[in-house]
Amino acid sequence: MTQHVVSTKTLVKSTIAASAIAVIVFICFILPAEYNIDPTHIGHKLGLTALADYDDDIATKAGSIAATEQGQQVIEVIVPAEKGIEYKFQMNQYEKMTYEWVTDGAALYFDLHGEPEGDTTGYFESYAIATLSEMKGSFTSPFEGSHGWYWKNNSNKPVAIQLIVEGQYTVIGLK
Amino acid sequence: MQNNLLRFAVLILVLLLASLSVEALAHGVDDKTRMFLEQNTGMQFIPFIYIGAKHMFTGYDHILFLVGVIFFLYRSRDVLLYVSMFTVGHSITLLWGVLGDIQVNAYLIDAIIGFSVIYKGFDNLGGFKRVFGKQPSTKLAVLIFGLFHGFGLATKLQEFDLPADGLVANMIAFNIGVELGQFMALAFILIAINFWRKLPSFQRFSTATNTMLMSAGLMLMGLQLSGYYLY
Repeated sequence: MTQHVVSTKTLVKSTIAASAIAVIVFICFILPAEYNIDPTHIGHKLGLTALADYDDDIATKAGSIAATEQGQQVIEVIVPAEKGIEYKFQMNQYEKMTYEWVTDGAALYFDLHGEPEGDTTGYFESYAIATLSEMKGSFTSPFEGSHGWYWKNNSNKPVAIQLIVEGQYTVIGLK
Repeated sequence: MQNNLLRFAVLILVLLLASLSVEALAHGVDDKTRMFLEQNTGMQFIPFIYIGAKHMFTGYDHILFLVGVIFFLYRSRDVLLYVSMFTVGHSITLLWGVLGDIQVNAYLIDAIIGFSVIYKGFDNLGGFKRVFGKQPSTKLAVLIFGLFHGFGLATKLQEFDLPADGLVANMIAFNIGVELGQFMALAFILIAINFWRKLPSFQRFSTATNTMLMSAGLMLMGLQLSGYYLY
């Protein structure tokens, strides 16, 4: 082997250099991008913290749908910390939906609303707006279009929601 | 001279392309593979070979360690010997870990794998000889760290509830895949290092390269340990 032993001075210099580079890269890039921990705010400026948020979004998109024996659908979604999500269903005019949702603890601001099919003005009609951790009810769609919830999580932790729905609709899902 | 430059450019291109795939796939098992692993039943020999090969080929922690191990090995016999030690080590724990249902924390194992990279970089600098006055057995070190790398591979598979049906055959297929992936990765590393060794820059930059190995190992350790404390 052509391996040789470097001098003590070189060894110390190498070790210090290796540690310094590792610490800088770790604090400035790895922590913000992987765990959304950003003590230097460099990660945020470079847009790296968005990568950590992105993981949350994937978890949300993976939100599962299961069916119960009574013909209900059980939908599970996660609202990332300090973010809002919208979960919608396509319904025709005068179709009915019965719903029940509950969070894993925290109360969420929500807006249950409908948007008419083909509307481009951004018009929507709200059926219920409040900040609650659970709600039961039903509604009949006043017009054809997408109907559902906007949930906003103002806390710094993700909140999971279990939504149970029954009625005449097709799932659009997260928007 | 011109010829050398051209070859160097090709080498850089190959390395860039290789690193691209590493970037894209990183370390975990991607979503499509996850879907496959959780939904398949029975023996799936070729798919498991593929997953094993892909994991090893794109797993930068294993690759970094291998770079460290063969950095100063230029005789084919030595390369074969050391790589075999590594293979024996990780095969034992991969099979034992999954089949024996040994539960180890994935973050801690990956942190140890990160440490193995630091160890090898320090070792290549002659650090142990300099600090402790003697060289710990390099063969034994490769074998022992191989055991930890195997546990790391095992934890990746244990994240899924693999169906018991056909598990042994699938595990053997995965292990074969790991060796194939390692072999492919090694081919690239050996070509690159053996080519580089002939250039005067090899001696000049060997200290810098092993310093970077240590640094990369430290980053891997930091990444995994913070994962361990946060989750």
